[in-house]
Amino acid sequence: MKNPGLLIALAMVSFMGTAKAQDAIKIGVPVGLSGANSVVAPSVVQAAELAVEEINAKGGILGKKVLLEVADDGSGAAGALKAFDSLIFQKKVNVLISMETSAARNAGLAVVSRGKTPFIYTSFYEGRSCNPYLYVNAWVPDQQVAPIVDFFMKKHGAKTFFLVGSDYAFGRGMLEFTRSYITKMGGKVLGEEYLPMDGSDWTSVIAKLKGAKPDAVITSTAGGAPNVTLTKQLRAAGVTIPYGNLAVDEGTAKSMGADADGIYISGSYLTNIDSAKNKEFLAAMNKKFGANLKTPNDLSVPQYEGIYAYKAAVEKAGSTDADKVIKALAEVSVDGPRGNIRMNKQRHAPLTMYLGQVQKDGTVTVIDVFKDVDPGDQCPNLK
Amino acid sequence: MSILLDILTTAAILYVVAAGLMIIFGVMKIINFAHGGFLTVGGYSTLIGTMIGLNVWSVLLMAFGTGFFFGLLIERFVVRPLYSRPLDAILATWGLGIILGQVITIVFGREVQVVPSPISGASELFGVSYSQYRLILVIAALIIAGGLTLLLGKTRLGLETRAVIMNETLARALGINSSLVRLITFSLGAALASLAGALITPLSSVDPNMGVPWLINAFMLVMVSGVSFMSLAIACLVLGGAQVLVSTYANPVLGGMTIAVLAALMLRLRPKGFARE
Amino acid sequence: MNNSNSFFRDDRKSLFIATAMAIILVGVAPYFLDAYLVNVLIRAFLYAAVALTVDILWGYTGILTFGQSAFFGIGAYSAGLIFTHMGFSTANAIVAIAVGVGVAVAVAGIVGSLAFYHGASNLYGSVVTLVLPIIVTQIIFSGGNFTGSSSGLSAFQSFDFSMELWFWISGLFLILLTFSTWIFVRSDAGSVLVAIRENESRCEYLGINVSYVKICLLMSSAVIAAIAGYAFASAQMVVAPEYAGFVFGTELLTWVALGGRGTLIGPVIGTLGIDVSTSYLSGNLPFVWKLILGIIFVLVIVAMPRGMAPLFMRRSRRAQGDLMDKKNPVRIDRVASTVFEDSKVNAIELRGVRKHFGSLKVLEDITLNVRPGELVSLVGPNGAGKTTLIRCISDGNERSSGSVLINGHDIGNRPPYECVAFGIGRKFQMANTFEALTVVESLRIARTRLHRPSFADRAEFLELPDAAAKVIVATGLDKELDTETRNLSHGQKQALELAMVLALEPSVLLLDEPTAGLTSLERNVIGQILTELATVHRLCVVLVEHDLDFVRQISSRVIVLHQGKIVLDGTVEQVVESELVRTIYSGGAQSIGGHS
Repeated sequence: MKNPGLLIALAMVSFMGTAKAQDAIKIGVPVGLSGANSVVAPSVVQAAELAVEEINAKGGILGKKVLLEVADDGSGAAGALKAFDSLIFQKKVNVLISMETSAARNAGLAVVSRGKTPFIYTSFYEGRSCNPYLYVNAWVPDQQVAPIVDFFMKKHGAKTFFLVGSDYAFGRGMLEFTRSYITKMGGKVLGEEYLPMDGSDWTSVIAKLKGAKPDAVITSTAGGAPNVTLTKQLRAAGVTIPYGNLAVDEGTAKSMGADADGIYISGSYLTNIDSAKNKEFLAAMNKKFGANLKTPNDLSVPQYEGIYAYKAAVEKAGSTDADKVIKALAEVSVDGPRGNIRMNKQRHAPLTMYLGQVQKDGTVTVIDVFKDVDPGDQCPNLK
Repeated sequence: MSILLDILTTAAILYVVAAGLMIIFGVMKIINFAHGGFLTVGGYSTLIGTMIGLNVWSVLLMAFGTGFFFGLLIERFVVRPLYSRPLDAILATWGLGIILGQVITIVFGREVQVVPSPISGASELFGVSYSQYRLILVIAALIIAGGLTLLLGKTRLGLETRAVIMNETLARALGINSSLVRLITFSLGAALASLAGALITPLSSVDPNMGVPWLINAFMLVMVSGVSFMSLAIACLVLGGAQVLVSTYANPVLGGMTIAVLAALMLRLRPKGFARE
Repeated sequence: MNNSNSFFRDDRKSLFIATAMAIILVGVAPYFLDAYLVNVLIRAFLYAAVALTVDILWGYTGILTFGQSAFFGIGAYSAGLIFTHMGFSTANAIVAIAVGVGVAVAVAGIVGSLAFYHGASNLYGSVVTLVLPIIVTQIIFSGGNFTGSSSGLSAFQSFDFSMELWFWISGLFLILLTFSTWIFVRSDAGSVLVAIRENESRCEYLGINVSYVKICLLMSSAVIAAIAGYAFASAQMVVAPEYAGFVFGTELLTWVALGGRGTLIGPVIGTLGIDVSTSYLSGNLPFVWKLILGIIFVLVIVAMPRGMAPLFMRRSRRAQGDLMDKKNPVRIDRVASTVFEDSKVNAIELRGVRKHFGSLKVLEDITLNVRPGELVSLVGPNGAGKTTLIRCISDGNERSSGSVLINGHDIGNRPPYECVAFGIGRKFQMANTFEALTVVESLRIARTRLHRPSFADRAEFLELPDAAAKVIVATGLDKELDTETRNLSHGQKQALELAMVLALEPSVLLLDEPTAGLTSLERNVIGQILTELATVHRLCVVLVEHDLDFVRQISSRVIVLHQGKIVLDGTVEQVVESELVRTIYSGGAQSIGGHS
C-alpha cells in the first residue's frame, strides 16, 4: 500500500464538496482580484455586496437568503478556468454575475457550458460573444464608439487617427470596429499598435505614434493597469492631441490624477447622472462603505443592476432552474442607476450612452447624451 | 533622433536595474533570483513613501535602505549556506522572491497601485520633444555607475571586494574578511535593486509581480557582462538598443525577447560575453 | 518458473501489484469523488506527468530545467490552434498530436544542441532552458488573433469525452508513465544518468557522449510534456500563454523539489498534493498557502536538498526495498584483456604541442613519440606541466597549438569522449569517481562504451577484463561491490578509478599518480599489472608519478619535464645518473632513488 494517508485525505476532501445543502441562493462572482483588472475589481465587489445586502434586507429571493461567492480569476484565461470551475463545481453557485477581461470570459464560457449555469456578464466588451447561458447588460462597440469618433471628427476636425490597444480579444475587437467606423465616416487610420495584456513598456508604440503625427489617438487597453501605464507614458512623452479612451472607467481615471486631464470617454454610467435612482444608489454606497468607497463606475454599476435582474428573473420564473431563468432574463427589466434596462436584444441591452471629458480633479463633464442606443446584431442565432 | 534617445534611455533603465544583480554575481558567483522581489520591494517603498508625504530624495533613500535591510537578512540566512551550490542558489533565491511577493500581497493587497510621477511632461532636446523622466533616468544611471566605480576603485572595501572577486581563497589567506565582503555586497545589490524599483515606478505601476519581467532581462545582461561596469554598460547599449530597434521596426512583442535570445546566442559563441579576457 | 532475467521477475512483484492497485483506484475514483475534484485531478495528473520529466532531467541527471512548460505549451497550442482554425475531426486530432509532438521534438533538439554542447557549463544550460519558455510565450503573444495572444484560445471543439473518461485517460497516462520511468531509472541505463549528474567529466573520459545523452533525454521529455499538453487542451478546451510560460516552468521545479528530487514518486505525489490542496483554498488563503509553500521550498533547497520524500520514505523502508528490484549480487565475469597488435603506428605522437594561458607558458614545444608496449614515466617537479600534458593528450580542446596523434589518428579539436574512442584511458590525479554509485555500478558505467546498458534491467553479471579484475581483487574491492563509492577509503577510490579505466580496455593508458594512497603490497600488484599490460598486451602506458622507487621498478623509459619543456628522455639508468635532473629536483646533493 503506497500511501494510505493520501487515500484518506482524498476521501475526506471529496466529502467536503458534496455536503452542502441548497437552501440559500448563491451568486458567484469571478473577478480579476489580481492582474490587469485588479484596479477596478474592488469597486465591482462593493457594488455586488450592496445589492445583496439590500435584497436580503427585503426578504431575499423567493424567501431565500442570497450569498455571494467571490473568486479571483487572475484577469486571464488560466485563472478563469480555475475560478469558474471552483464556483460552479465546488461552491455550486446558482448563477454567475460578473465582469471579466475578455480572455477570462472566453475561457470561463467553456466551463459555463459544461456546468449549465446562467452567466450575466456585466462588463463592456468587444461584442459578439454568444452562448446559450450568457446575458450581457453592458455596452458593446456598436453603442460606444460612434460618439467619440463623431465628436473628434466634427468638433476637433480630426481626419487621421492612431489606434493603440492591448493584444487580446477586447483590444483587437474594439479597435477593429473603430477602424471600420472611422473609415465609414471618411477618416483614415494611420496606425494600429498592440502590446500584450500585461505589457507596460509602451515606448516603441509611442514612438510610432509620434512619428505618424495623427490628429487624434484612440485607445482600448485592458481595464486597470495598462490604462494607467499607457496614459502616464503618453503624457510623459508630451502627447497632447485629443485622446479618446474606449476602456477607462471613472475610478481609474481619478486615480491617474493630473495625467487623465482631457481624456474623452464614452460609457453608460457617470456618477453625476442626474436621476433619483442614481442619487439613491450613491447615497447607499456611501453609507455602506464610507471612506473605503471605490468610485462606482461603468464596470461596477452593471454588476449591481445585474444582480437585480437575476432576482427579477428568478421571481418571474418561480425557480432557480437554469433553463427557466434563462428564458425569464430576456423578459424582465431593472430600474437602476443607469435607467431602465432590459436584456432583450439578442441577449444584449439597449443603453443610454454619455460622452464625457475627464477633468483635472478626476470628475467627468458630460458633453452629450444618447438615449436608448441599440446594441445591433450581436447574437442573431440566439433570441 | 528620437529613436536614439529611446535606445539611450532604455539602456539606462536596464543598467539601473541590472547593476545590483551584477555586483552580486561578480563577488559571489551566485545569481540572485530574488532580484525581481527586491525591485518590487522598492516599488512598494515608493508607494509608502509617497503616501506619507516624503519628498523625492527621501523616497529614494527609503527604498535603498529597505532593500539593504532585507538584503542583510537574506544573505545571512539563506544565501550563505548555498555558496557551493550555485544552481540551488538560483532556486532558493527564486523561492525567496516568491515569499517577498506573497508577503507584499498579504500586506498591501494584490491589486495594482498607482504612484504619481515626480516629474511629468516632455522637454525639447536636439529638436525632439522627449519624455523628461526618461532623460533623468540616464543621469541616474550615470550617477550609479560612477558611484559604484568610485566605491570599487577608491575605497578600502572596494579593494577588498576586488580581491575577493579575483581569488577568494587567497584574499582570505591575506586576512580579508570575505564573509563580511559578501554580506555587504549582497545587501548593496539588494539595495540597488530596490532603488531601481523605485526609479521605474513612475513609468509603470506597482503590483506584487512587477519585478518578474525585469528579472530575466537583468539576468541575461549580467551573464553577458562578466564583472565589469563598463561591459555591463556596453551590453545594455547593444542589447537594449537591439530591443528598441526590434520593437519599433518589427513588433513590440518580439522586442521583449530580443535581449534574452541575443544574450543566449552570444554566450554560445563567446562564453565570456562582452567582458575582456 | 520465473527466469530471473524475465520482465516479470519475482522481485518486481511489488511493483506490478502497486501499479495494478493504482489502476484500480483510478478506475473507481470518479464514482466516489465529486465533479470538482475529478476536474482538478485531471489537470493535476497531467501536471504530474510533466513534473516526472523534470525529475528525470533535474533530479536524476542534474540538468536544472525551467523549460518543460514550453513543451507542454507547444502540445496544448497544437490542439488549440488546429481545433480552432481547422475544426475538430478525428483526422485533425491525429494531425494535431503529430504536429505537437513533432514541433516539440524539433525544438528540443535545437535547444539541446545549444544548451548541452560540449564544454557548456551547467549554468549556461539552465539559462537556455530559461529563455525557451519566454520565447514560446512571446511567439504566442505576437500571433495576434491567430493565436489569441493574451486571451488564449477557447470554445474550440474537442473530443466528445465525459469527465470520467478524461480522468481515466490522464490517470492511466500518469500511471503507465511512472511505471515505465521507474523501470528505466532502475536499469543500467538509468545509472548512467546518475553518473552524469555526479561527475560529467568522468563520464566523458569513459567514452560517454554526454551531450548526446542529454539531448536525447530532453527530446524524450519534450514528447511526454507535449502529449500531456495536448491532453490538457483537449480536456479543458482552453489554452492560454500561461501554460507555456516561465512561471509554470518554475512551479514544476518547486513541486519536484518539495516532493523530493530524484525519487520519481516524490514529485508525482508532491504535484498532486500541492495542486489539489491549492484548488481548495479561496479568499486570501491561496496567498498564505503560497507563502507557506515558498518558505518550505526555500528550507528544502537550503537544508534538505533531497526534499521531503526521504523523511516519509524512511517509514516505508520495507516497501521501498520491495519496489526496487532486489539487487541480486552481481557476478564478475573475467574476460581476457585485449592484446593489441604490434603495429607500426606510434601510440602517441606529439608535435610542437604548446599550452599557454595568456602570457603564461605552461608547455613549450613538446615533441615526442611513444610506441605501443612502452611504459613511460613522466616525472618533474610540481608545476612542470605534467598534468597539463596529460590533458593535452586526452582532450583535443586543451592545447593552444601543435598536433596530437593517438594510434595514428589526429585528435584535432575533439572532445574527450572521442579521444577515448581512439583508445585513450585516463586516470585523474584526484580520485575522480561517482560518489553516489556503488563499486559495481561504477564499473558498469566504465563498460558502457563497449556494452550498451539495458534500458529495462540490471544485468546480472559484469564483464571485466583481467587487468581490471585483478585490481579489484588485490585491493579488496571485490568484497565491497555493493558499497557506495562515497563510503570507500581514499585508497580504495583510487583503485576503483584505476579499475574503471582498465575496464575501458584502452590501448593508451594515461595514469596520473596511480599509486597514491595505496599500500606497498597493493603498489606491487599494480606495478605487476601495468608491466604485464605493457609487455604482454602491448598497451602504451604513460605514468605521472612522484614515487620514484615505483618509477625505477617498472618504467622502460623516463621523461623529465621542467618548466614546460622536456629536459631529458631516456632509460631509467640514464635519468637516474643525470646531473641535470639532480639539480632540478633538489638542492643538488641527492640523486633520484638514492639516499643521502
